[in-house]
Amino acid sequence: MRKRSATVALTLMGAAFVLSGCKEDQTEAASFPDLASCRAQADQGSLAFTAEDCEAAFAQAQADHQETAPRYDALAVCEEQHGAGNCEQQAQQGGGFSFMPLLAGMMIGQMLSGGRGFMSQPLVNTANGRYATPGGAQVASNSGRGAMNTAAFNKAPTTAGRPPMTQADVMRRGGFGASGAARSSFGG
Amino acid sequence: MEKISLPPRADQREAETGFTFAEMHGEPYWDETSAYRFTLEEIETRIEDPATELHAMCREAVDRITASDELMERMGIPPGFHDMVAQSWRNGEPELYGRMDLAYDGTDAKLLEYNADTPTSLYEAASFQWQWLEDQIAAGVLPEGADQFNRIHEALAERFAELFAPNTDLHFAAAGGNAEDYATVEAMAWAAREGGMGAHYTDLEKIGLTEEGQFSDAEDRVIGTLFKLYPWEDIFHDEFGAAIGPSGCRFIEPPWKALVSNKAILPVLWEMFEGHPNLLPAFFLDDVGGALRDGSPSVPLFDRARDALKSHVVKPIFSREGSSIDIIENGRPLEVATDRGYDNQPKIVQAYAPLPVFDGFRPVLGAWVVGPTCVGLGIREDRARITQDLSRFKPHFIEG
Repeated sequence: MRKRSATVALTLMGAAFVLSGCKEDQTEAASFPDLASCRAQADQGSLAFTAEDCEAAFAQAQADHQETAPRYDALAVCEEQHGAGNCEQQAQQGGGFSFMPLLAGMMIGQMLSGGRGFMSQPLVNTANGRYATPGGAQVASNSGRGAMNTAAFNKAPTTAGRPPMTQADVMRRGGFGASGAARSSFGG
Repeated sequence: MEKISLPPRADQREAETGFTFAEMHGEPYWDETSAYRFTLEEIETRIEDPATELHAMCREAVDRITASDELMERMGIPPGFHDMVAQSWRNGEPELYGRMDLAYDGTDAKLLEYNADTPTSLYEAASFQWQWLEDQIAAGVLPEGADQFNRIHEALAERFAELFAPNTDLHFAAAGGNAEDYATVEAMAWAAREGGMGAHYTDLEKIGLTEEGQFSDAEDRVIGTLFKLYPWEDIFHDEFGAAIGPSGCRFIEPPWKALVSNKAILPVLWEMFEGHPNLLPAFFLDDVGGALRDGSPSVPLFDRARDALKSHVVKPIFSREGSSIDIIENGRPLEVATDRGYDNQPKIVQAYAPLPVFDGFRPVLGAWVVGPTCVGLGIREDRARITQDLSRFKPHFIEG
């Protein structure tokens, strides 16, 4: 009996991951810092949508922002997540104040079902100089175009009227790796 | 076992396969100008069967250790993690893979240590040396009937299929920016895919913790099962270590592997299986340091091993790639590691089993274990007595 595999995986370079899992549906998307820039491009005819689409999408993004943008109990916690100067104070429903990131633009994309439907999501700044939807999808720019997973347009859970996040609630990263940081390789 | 000079393939195929570290630090890491030849009987009776048996013995040792807080303490498991380690064992969380390092001179192979948590060189062993064999047979350099002890890739794929439902999403994490670690993780991901799994990569440092206390990857996807090429003994001291219990995340390897991939299991094995042909006498340095230095009386178990320990190796319990290891021959240092990164750890002493020398190089056999079974062999050789991260990988073949 053979002591070796009949076949093995031979190539490296990332293909094991890139090809794996299910490919999510993608749509052509564009991002704009404000309504005016969307309208300007639409008027030039360089977009698949019109100035009216811009208005509807932006209004929806503004409403979603008010409803779903993250809310924090302190300015420092908000700015840690979204960068200095990118947060504002808001009156909480039922009294008190919370802090939420300023609207930094919107992302608009065509619905895959066809027709003339568009979907949008608000964008806020991230601490690392990028932009993110309330659902956490990140884009590098608020004035760019490219393919996006349609899931990036899913509306995030409502935050309005809910208790703001404290420092302890904020998602943390980088909690693995510190103890071994002195070594180049963790294997052996 | 013999070492045979062979013509190397024209291009060694590195570019084609993306094998990015065939040279490391300017030295050849993969070297196919020679290879080690074994007979089938030798592979089966000297390596395969003993390594499978050693793994079963390690499992018995884990059963004993997890029942004792005192032993867990000696194994360097922080008190806050005793329960997690013990519980993972009691729950029967399954093991995926490991690599035993064996000293083999043609007689009984001796277990030097067992990297049962984060072994690397998986790609070289499972894939690259396999392709070398196929190429050399096709080229007529090796005969048609030549073989290799290397079911590693297939066995891993089968193991994934055994452990997880079809299409389970698995995350694979390694420290960002290390080509060698990444290659091992990617080779593992290939096997997972072949076993029917979905494989996702994330840099270890980019793992996050969500508001709900779950781990998430660099793209905020929740991690249900995490293969981490990062040792448990480091996780225990990381900020996220305490978050593992509540996270609901399943880890590969499971926490109890921290006891196996731990030089402190060697004295436990010796105590349980004294005289086993594949074990070297081993003790906690704290227990026998005095007796070793001045010959003062000790426990009978040590006295019976006194002769064998005249030459011995001192190892920190969590050392990797030869760091902080000293070889003492008849009371004098024979070879002392220059990298002292692990000196602050508890240590063990183990009888010295010199590696055989072939053309000035000392090969150490890596017996790959998947699940509970030894399924393959990878060989690294070094000019030094302590095999370090600059050692060379050597292919092997079976003939006769």
